[in-house]
Amino acid sequence: MANDLDEDGAGRDKPPSLDEFSERLDAMRGEPNEEKPPGAGAGLGQAMRLSTELLAGLLVGGALGYGLDRLLETSPWFLLAGIGVGFAAGLRNLSRMLSRNNEGSSDRG
Amino acid sequence: MKELYAASPLDQFKIHPIVDLNFGGVDVSLTNSALWMLIAIGAIIIFFFFATRRASMIPSRIQGAAEVMYEFIFDLVRDTVGAEGRKFFPYVFTLFIFILVANFFGMIPSIPGAPKEVHTFTTTSHLIVTFALAMLTITIVVIYGFWKNGLGFLRLFAPSGQPLPMYIILIPVEVVSFLSRPLSLAIRLFANMFAGHIILKVFAGFIVSLFSAGGAFVLIGIFPFLGILAVTLLEFLIAALQAYVFAILTCIYLSDAAHAADH
Repeated sequence: MANDLDEDGAGRDKPPSLDEFSERLDAMRGEPNEEKPPGAGAGLGQAMRLSTELLAGLLVGGALGYGLDRLLETSPWFLLAGIGVGFAAGLRNLSRMLSRNNEGSSDRG
Repeated sequence: MKELYAASPLDQFKIHPIVDLNFGGVDVSLTNSALWMLIAIGAIIIFFFFATRRASMIPSRIQGAAEVMYEFIFDLVRDTVGAEGRKFFPYVFTLFIFILVANFFGMIPSIPGAPKEVHTFTTTSHLIVTFALAMLTITIVVIYGFWKNGLGFLRLFAPSGQPLPMYIILIPVEVVSFLSRPLSLAIRLFANMFAGHIILKVFAGFIVSLFSAGGAFVLIGIFPFLGILAVTLLEFLIAALQAYVFAILTCIYLSDAAHAADH
């Protein structure tokens, strides 16, 4: 694998071109499987994402609402709406992230 | 001893200028944060220089280590972004290695008695550093998205197949959801490193307090010591995991940008 970075193609007489190499590689691998089951570490990585996804949505929504309020002097309506939208966006992030895992079992995106 | 005892758990995050530099009125001093970034980059360069110097079919140990990391990220990029993601491999790999090494260097204990400027410093425990990395990722995503899909990239904000009135709610939600991405990337890495290092220092502070109390308290000092042992191991796991999470999210966002017009 690291050999396709070699410029001088060490250990080979005639270095094949990158395209040729990737064709042969694909042929050996069979169908490119885009949906590979994630490893064990991926589960833990996902768990750590859950909280920040929600938090970031709230923060951005709240900040946008606060900014609009300052601009239009309509305090506190845009802030309230922004927090609502931000919470929805956080949940949307979560649902998108989780549905990525069971794309096979559910047709909701 | 007294000086160690008095140090606040937050002292480790203080920025100390080492070489004062001023560039057109902008303070660009070399600080301990910048120093540890340079050390991380230097270590990476040296590692990959020796790993690839005598590349052979039967890899040496160091070449094997480099190949494991290479293949790990290569597979990650291919599985999440697809074949067209190959052109992003150098970026994702650089990002992953830099965060990984910066996180691990933060785990090295400082030399006791060394001046503050050269204490080990976790650059990724500063929000501005992680935010800069996150903004770099999002900028690439936005530029690539528009370059690849044209204005079709905006379809990312309007998922198809919904009743028309729903778009009044859906579009703001999707826009905020997109805008929250750099923030969630940045906060996650920063918060994990920041909190972990504070916990380490607080536990270490308990040991010092219990020892200076003397008597039976010295024996109780074993408990925070066991705690610090466990937390240190956990921190090593988190250091690697956060680099991985940052890399995989970069891939997922790139994949969204590449396939925005499909949904």
